[in-house]
Amino acid sequence: MTNSPGPRAAILGGNRIPFARAHGAYARASNQDMLIAALDGLIARFGLAGQRLDEVVAGAVVKHSADFNLTREAVLGTALDPRTPTYDVQQACATSLEAAVLLGNKIRLGQAQVGIAGGVDSTSDAPIAVSEGLRQVLLGLNRAKTPGERLRALSGLRPNQVAPLLPSVSEPRTGLSMGEHMARTVEDWGITRAEQDEIAAASHQHLAAAYERGFFDDLLTPYLGLTRDNNLRADSTVEKLASLKPVFGTDLPDPSMTAGNSTPLTDGAATVLLASPEWAAEHRFKPLAYLADAQTAAVDFVSGDEGLLMAPAYATATLLQRNGLTLQDFDLYEIHEAFAATVVTILKAWESPEFCRTRLGLSAPLGSIDRTKLNVNGSSLATGHPFGATGARILAGTAKELHARGGRRALITICAAGGQGIAAIVEA
Amino acid sequence: MTEPTPISEEPNLTREFARALRPVRRPTTLIERSLLRTGVTVDRAHLAAYQRLCGWPVSDLVPPTYPHLLAFPLQTRLMAGPDFPLRLPGMLHVRNEVRVLAPLTAGQEWTLTAGTARLAPHPKGRTVEVWARLAIGDDTVWSETSTYLARSEHPEPPAAGVEAPERPPAGPTRATARWDLPADLGRRYAVLSGDVNPIHLHPWSAKAMGFRRTVAHGMWTSARTLAALGPRVQGVGTHTVWFRKPVLLPSTVDLCRDDGDDRILAALRSGVAGPGERSEHLVLRWTPQG
Repeated sequence: MTNSPGPRAAILGGNRIPFARAHGAYARASNQDMLIAALDGLIARFGLAGQRLDEVVAGAVVKHSADFNLTREAVLGTALDPRTPTYDVQQACATSLEAAVLLGNKIRLGQAQVGIAGGVDSTSDAPIAVSEGLRQVLLGLNRAKTPGERLRALSGLRPNQVAPLLPSVSEPRTGLSMGEHMARTVEDWGITRAEQDEIAAASHQHLAAAYERGFFDDLLTPYLGLTRDNNLRADSTVEKLASLKPVFGTDLPDPSMTAGNSTPLTDGAATVLLASPEWAAEHRFKPLAYLADAQTAAVDFVSGDEGLLMAPAYATATLLQRNGLTLQDFDLYEIHEAFAATVVTILKAWESPEFCRTRLGLSAPLGSIDRTKLNVNGSSLATGHPFGATGARILAGTAKELHARGGRRALITICAAGGQGIAAIVEA
Repeated sequence: MTEPTPISEEPNLTREFARALRPVRRPTTLIERSLLRTGVTVDRAHLAAYQRLCGWPVSDLVPPTYPHLLAFPLQTRLMAGPDFPLRLPGMLHVRNEVRVLAPLTAGQEWTLTAGTARLAPHPKGRTVEVWARLAIGDDTVWSETSTYLARSEHPEPPAAGVEAPERPPAGPTRATARWDLPADLGRRYAVLSGDVNPIHLHPWSAKAMGFRRTVAHGMWTSARTLAALGPRVQGVGTHTVWFRKPVLLPSTVDLCRDDGDDRILAALRSGVAGPGERSEHLVLRWTPQG
């Protein structure tokens, strides 16, 4: 076996388009359009026009059936050499971080020298499916060869089958939306409204401050008239957030999840450029940081054994153990804000001796983190969360911030639909 | 040429088409006129709909073929006027040349000038050139020249010393892509462009004008062809398109392309007979020089 692991993949930079609230600025843009825009910005910034990369790997969660080759189609619309190979991945909200891990591993094995990982999602340009009954009728009609068979197939048609099906963010096996699942975890852990609203207000304030100091100047390309994420409310405060009515868990005794402490549906795309240290040096790019290691996990949420969005707590424990690190060995923590409550619950779980013992099999809890190092440039509550794009957004921003601070190590966690989660370590 | 006449509003195309129908005694010579409109900007929703219909990615980059839509109402007003020597109904768009000198983006504000020039004899009638230009300040960023042919039953014999009309380059013949064009394509492009010539709208109105079926807009076929050539042709460059035979709708057409280092040649063809017998709808040549 010649492919023994080599040096870690270098994170050279990233580019995304501003994220837009659904049915707004990007209502007419498709996943392919947005991915092209994000890629072209990255290509322009790093002078990659006409270059053949080893691969581009990206994905979207909500996909039209015509977009089976989404990343390839997007690359063919960019300034990259059309001979750049691609593939699509999908791991719900972890999609583009998983994409970066796959690419990073190939780089580490010497199977690739340079590539782009990314993701995109549009909830505005969502595919609309026909009802299962109508689908069966249409498939039968397609198989029918004689007029009689066609007539028989059509006889299965019922008026109520005609209503189209819009994709939803509910879990197929439970029928509960992600917010309803989270509300149940909130009740289990006794998470308060105030704890959630603090996370939400901080997200907006941190993101606004990051824009003010020009943090996104080399991480973002304007698109369709937007120069900033249009979900950002720079004047957000705990007091204002406290006035909002709960929207999830309203069947439970003390609902606390509001539109303000939950992420909105969003459109957007993000990319990150990874390369071997050798390639980076050859092309005179100074790496921002390195992708050191990553771990995925999944939980049994269907039976109610564990909360839907708790998998990152498990993935992190495995990752720390493998790398001989403690939870406190990090200069930055990026915990994806699916909901403010997700962040609070994961932090509480790591602090809980019982959870760490019974669930993670640890003799002592992982402990607390320094909250001033958490989501320092805002996260999904303020930025928005186009599912597939979030991982690449976080990875590029984390690498840049770690580099700017002269920090040694950052931890990223992202929860995903289906009870899955991913954790990754970024190192200087 | 006289100074361009400033206008403050975009002319209404339907009204201009109606004006062109009025029977008037037309002069035999062309008075070269031009119109000027300042503060021209892009409506992003309109641009996105255009990009979607013509096969460009939805982005802030304005396709080279888009500003024609901004210029067309001004050009039509000039051609619909009583002092224009040719009758607008029945005039054929035979050639369109577009230069992009600097990247065009949706946030820009342009000065648009459009005018008429060069009335000339042609073996099948007479041709006239209709041009347009976009400028930012004093810098031209985009320009186009269209040649229209007004057919006549008794064309004047070409005078000695007058150059013969330019012949298009031989287009490539091997299909590299195949498109099914829907029956309502003309109506959809008419809504976007305002070009509501009846030949594009419905088979009945097209028949009344002497066509077997609805006819696709030439400017849609050229935009779709250019868009298919990929990201390389989106920015600075020049493309010339020669419109040969109308594309009838619905239909299946083949894109034939030949990429060289310094130019791309493309042709749009249809028909199932051997390559020599297939209809050639247009030939397009793109070069990277603006």
